[in-house]
Amino acid sequence: MRWGMVIDVRRCVGCQTCTIACMQEHGLPAGTQWRFVADCEIGEYPNVRRVFLPMQCMHCAEPPCVPVCPTGASQRRADGIVHVEYELCVGCGYCAVACPYHARHLVHEARGYFDAPTPSEQANGHAGRHGVMTKCTFCKERVDAGRAQGLVPGVDPDATPMCALACIAGAIVFGDLEDPTSRVAQLVADGRAVALMPEVGTQPSVFYLAD
Amino acid sequence: MNKSAATPTIEKVPVYCYQCVAGPDLLKVIVKDGVAVGVEPNSDVAAEHPAGGKVCVRAYGLVQKLYNPARIKTPMVRTNPRKARGEDPGWAPVSWDAALDLLAGKLRALRAAGLVDAAGYPRLAVTFGSGGIAPAYLGTFAALLAAWGPLDQGIGSGQGVKCYHSEHLYGEFWHRAFTVAADVPRCDYVLSFGYNGDASGGVTGVWRHAEARARGLRWVQLEPHLSITGAGAGEWVPVRPKTDAAVLFALLHAILIEHDWRHVCDVPFLERMTGSPYLVGPGGYYLRDPGSGKPLVWDLDRERAVPFDDPACARPALVGEYIASGVEVGADGARRSVSDRVRPAFERLVEHVRSYTPEWAAEIADVPAATIRRIAGEYLAAARVGATIEIDGVSYPHRPVAVLLGKTVTNGWGGYECCWARTLLAALVGALEVPGGILGTTVRLNRPAQNRLDSVKPGPDGFMEQPLNPTSREKWQASPHVRNAYRTLVPLADDSPWSAALGPAHLPWLFLEDAPEHWPAPTLPDVWIIYRTNPAISNWETGRIERELERFPFVAAFAYTQDETNWYADLLLPEATDLESLQLYRIGGTKYTEQYWQHSGWALRQPVTAPPYDTRDLTDVATELAARVGLLDEYLQAVNRGSGTTVPLAGDGYDYSIKNGRLPVAAEIWDRVCRAATRSLSGGREEHDLEWFKRHGAWFVPFATKNYFLHTTMRAQGLRYELPYQERIQRMGEELAARLHERGIKWWDVQLDEYQPLPTWKDFPEIWRGTAAAHGRDAREFPFWLLTSRSMQYSWGSNVSLPILADVAKNVKGHFGVMLNRRAAEKLGIADGDLVEIESPTGRTQGRAILREGVRPDVAVALQQFGHWATPFARDLGMPSLNEVSSMDLALTDATGSGADLVPVAVRRL
Repeated sequence: MRWGMVIDVRRCVGCQTCTIACMQEHGLPAGTQWRFVADCEIGEYPNVRRVFLPMQCMHCAEPPCVPVCPTGASQRRADGIVHVEYELCVGCGYCAVACPYHARHLVHEARGYFDAPTPSEQANGHAGRHGVMTKCTFCKERVDAGRAQGLVPGVDPDATPMCALACIAGAIVFGDLEDPTSRVAQLVADGRAVALMPEVGTQPSVFYLAD
Repeated sequence: MNKSAATPTIEKVPVYCYQCVAGPDLLKVIVKDGVAVGVEPNSDVAAEHPAGGKVCVRAYGLVQKLYNPARIKTPMVRTNPRKARGEDPGWAPVSWDAALDLLAGKLRALRAAGLVDAAGYPRLAVTFGSGGIAPAYLGTFAALLAAWGPLDQGIGSGQGVKCYHSEHLYGEFWHRAFTVAADVPRCDYVLSFGYNGDASGGVTGVWRHAEARARGLRWVQLEPHLSITGAGAGEWVPVRPKTDAAVLFALLHAILIEHDWRHVCDVPFLERMTGSPYLVGPGGYYLRDPGSGKPLVWDLDRERAVPFDDPACARPALVGEYIASGVEVGADGARRSVSDRVRPAFERLVEHVRSYTPEWAAEIADVPAATIRRIAGEYLAAARVGATIEIDGVSYPHRPVAVLLGKTVTNGWGGYECCWARTLLAALVGALEVPGGILGTTVRLNRPAQNRLDSVKPGPDGFMEQPLNPTSREKWQASPHVRNAYRTLVPLADDSPWSAALGPAHLPWLFLEDAPEHWPAPTLPDVWIIYRTNPAISNWETGRIERELERFPFVAAFAYTQDETNWYADLLLPEATDLESLQLYRIGGTKYTEQYWQHSGWALRQPVTAPPYDTRDLTDVATELAARVGLLDEYLQAVNRGSGTTVPLAGDGYDYSIKNGRLPVAAEIWDRVCRAATRSLSGGREEHDLEWFKRHGAWFVPFATKNYFLHTTMRAQGLRYELPYQERIQRMGEELAARLHERGIKWWDVQLDEYQPLPTWKDFPEIWRGTAAAHGRDAREFPFWLLTSRSMQYSWGSNVSLPILADVAKNVKGHFGVMLNRRAAEKLGIADGDLVEIESPTGRTQGRAILREGVRPDVAVALQQFGHWATPFARDLGMPSLNEVSSMDLALTDATGSGADLVPVAVRRL
C-alpha cells in the first residue's frame, strides 16, 4: 500500500479552497499553509498561459527530509506517508533545507489571527506543534480512522484527506498507488501524470496532470 | 484532565452558504464541545447537490466570521451628532430594547407624518447589498417591509463588478434570462468576452467548467487581462477594453456576409422562432395588417404579404425587397399607411452588419481580423446546425455553442450592443434556449419567480409578454416614485419587487448633489435602513457618497463590523451572521438553472452554537419592530402570504398561518414555513418540521432537465424571440423622449439614443476618455485603462475583515496591489512591488505594483472594491480601489442606468 495523489492542473482554478480547508482541518496557526496553490505564468505577453499549481509535501518514496533528521522525528510510514513525530522534533530545520519542494513549515509560536485567540482557535489549536517542524500529513488521522471503520480513503469522505474532499473542481484524487483498481493508480498508469522535479530523484507520491 | 478534553463532543450541523449569488451551497459546520471549529462539505447531499455537496473558500471563513473580535457586539447609538470621516461617531452601547424602541419611534414618526414626503419620495428607504444575496439572510424582514407601504429600495449600493446590469434587463426581455449561462454540460464551444465564472460562478460554476474542460469543451477567452477563467481557456485573446461590441459585430458580419448564411445558419429557427421575416416599413416600424395590427411577412409561395401567424405561409422571406401595403404603428400609436418597398427584418440585419468587417473591428479592438474570422468559423462548425439530442425522451435541437459576456462588457455604454449581438449570434444558429446553447438562469422581473418556464406568456406580435414600464402619455410615471426613478426613466426595468434594485443604482447619489433640471428635487429619506451593504465602498466615486452620508438624518445599520458607510449611521444593530440565525431557503429548480440541479427543494440555515455576542435573529427583529411600530397584524398577514419566505402558510389541505395579535418567535415562524414548504412542493405528500430540517439540513424533490429550456414552452405557445429587430425598443425610446421633452427634460437625451432597432457601433472607449476634458484635463495624460476583476475569495462575501481570507487570497496574484504588464511597467521604471500612484481625471489611489505577462500593456487591474479606511483589518490591506478614481457621471450612464468599471488613468512610481 502506498498512499498517493494525482492533481489535475487542468481543473484547478486556484480558488484556495484546499488551502483554507487544510488550515482549518489541522488547526494551523496564522500564516502557516501546509499546502497552497501557486499562481504561475508561462510565456510572455501576448503568448502567455496562466497556470494554477497546487503545492504540498510530495510524500516521496525517497524523502530527503528523513535521513537528514538528527533525532529521527522525520519519518516515512510503511504506507508512504511522510510525517513528523512532534515529540522527537527539535526544530533544527535540517529537513526544511533538504526538501526540494519547500514543503516544511517551522512554527515558532502560537500565532492567531487576532490579538487574543478566538474560541475556535483555542478549541482547534495544537500547543504541541510549536517549535517543531510541521507539514502536510496526507491527513493520516482521517485516513487511519477511516480505515479502522472499514472506509476506503479517496472514496469515502470521512477517510479522505481534507484537501481532496474540499476541492471544488474535482482536481485532487487520493488513493492507493499500489491498488491497480484505484483512480490514482489508473491515472498514473496511463502515463500522463508526471511528478515535479523528477531529476532530484525523490520519487514523489504526488503526481500532476497537465496539458 | 477535564472530560471535554478527554472525549470531545463533535457535532456536524448542516447549514447553507449563500455568500454569493452562485449559492446556496450546502455544508456542515463542525462543532467541538459547543465551539464551531471548522467547515466541511455536506457529503450527505453529494448525490443531489450539483457540485457534490462542496463549498468554496469563502464558506471556510464562516467560523472566523462568527468569532471575529472586531464585530459589532451589541447595539450602539451615535453620541457625536457631527457626521464626517474625521469625526468619531462616539458609539455608546445600548440594549436591544432601547435600540428597537429608538428605531420604532423613528418609524412611527414617519407614519404620523405620512409615508411619502412633499417631493413624492418615500420617507423610509431600505438598501440591501447585492440583491441576490440578502434575501437568504433577511428572515422575515421582507414581510415587515411589505406591511409598511411605500418605501424606497432604489438608493443603490453600486453596480460594476457586482452586476450584469444591461444583461439583466435585455436578457429577461429577450429570453427570460436575468443572467445568461452556457448550457455547459452539453456545450462544446464557448466564446467568453470577459465572463469570469471560475471566480464568480461559485462552487457549481467551477465544478461544471472543470467537468466540461475534462471532456474537451473549447473555451476562447477575450478580455484585456488573463483572468481566473481565462487561465482555464484554450485561447486568450487580449481585446482592448470596451471594444467587445466591435468584435461581436464583426462576428455577425463574418457569419452573415462572408459565409453563406443559408447554409451555416439555422434558417427554420430564424423563420419560425424569431421576428426575422417581419417586414419593416420605410418608417422603421413593422408593416402591419391594417385590420388586425399583426406584423406582416412576405409569403414567397403566394408572393404577397400575410400576417406572421398565417398557417398557410410555408416559406416566409428572410431577404429581399417587396412592394406591400399595410400600416406602420409608431410612437404614441401614430399610424401611417404604407404602400411601398419593404424588407424583412433579417434583410435589414444583413445590411446593418455589412460595414462591420473584421478589418474594421481589428483596428478598434486590437484583435487580428484573421482571428475574428477563425473564431467565427469555429463557432459555426461547433454549432452543428440540424443536430438533435434526446433528453428525458424528448428530442431537442442540439446547438453546443455559446457566447458569454462578463461584467463591464454588459454594463454601461456598449452593454446593449454586446447583449444584442451575443443573443443574435445564438439565434442565428438556433442556439437560444436549447440544449448546448445559451440559457436564462432565472427571472427577477417576470413572475412566477420560481418557474422561468411558467413566466412565458403570449405578448404582442407573437413575442413574449414583458411587464415594461409604460411610456404612453396616459400611463407614464411622470414623477419618480423612488429616488432612482426606474419607472420614469427605464422602461425595461419593469415594476417587479426587484425593479428598484435594478434601476439606475447611482442616480440617487448623483442627483442628491447635482439635481437635474425640471426634476423633482431629490430629498433625503427620513430613515434609511441598510443591511449587508457598504455603499461608501461599492459605488463609483466613493467620496461623493460620503459627502451625502454626512447629511442623512437617521441611518439604522445592521452591522457586522464598523465600516465606511455605517460610520455615518445613528444606530448600529449587530448582525446575526450566517451561522447564528434561522432561515429556510429555496434551492434548485429554474431559479438556479445555471447550477444544473436535478432537484428542487429547501435548505435550512440554523444557529450552530450559542451566539458569542449580543446579536439577534433578523426574523425576531422584524417581529419586534412590527409590534412596536403598530404593524404586527399586517406583518403577520404578510408572513402568512409568504412575503420573504416565498411560501404561503396556507394551501390545499393545510393551514399553518399565524393568528393576528400573536408575537411568534423565529423558531415558530420557521417551523410553520418548513411544514408549508414541504407540503406545497410535494403536492401534499410530505411534511417536515423545523426539527427535521435541523437534523437533515435539506429536502429535495426531483427536477426534470427539460425545465431548463424555454424552447418547448415557446414552441407550444407558438411564440418567437424578439430578434433581431428591436421595434418595441425603438418605440418605447421615442415615446420616452416625447414624455421627457414635454417636461423640458433634455439631460437624458444621450441615453435616449440607445433605443435603436438595430444597434450601431459607437466609440465607447471615447466616452470614458471624455471624462478628462470634462474635468479640464487632456486625455493623453491617461494612457492606461484601470479595470477591476472578480476575486473569488472576496466577492459578495462581506468578509474583508477576515484575516484568514487575506491569508489565502495572497496566493492569487492581484490581491493587495495593482497588476501591470511587465514590459509596460518597466518602461515606466516600475519594478515588482514598487508603490505606484494611479491617477484619473478625478482622483488618485495607490498600491503595490504586481508585474504580470497576462495583462495588456495599456491596462492596470485592481481586484474587487477596496479602499476601506474604517473596516477593521481591511483598512490595513493597502489595496488600490477603482472606485476611488472613478467618476459618477451622467455621461457615463447608459439608457438602462448602468455604468462600467473602467477609468482612464496614469500610472507612476512613487
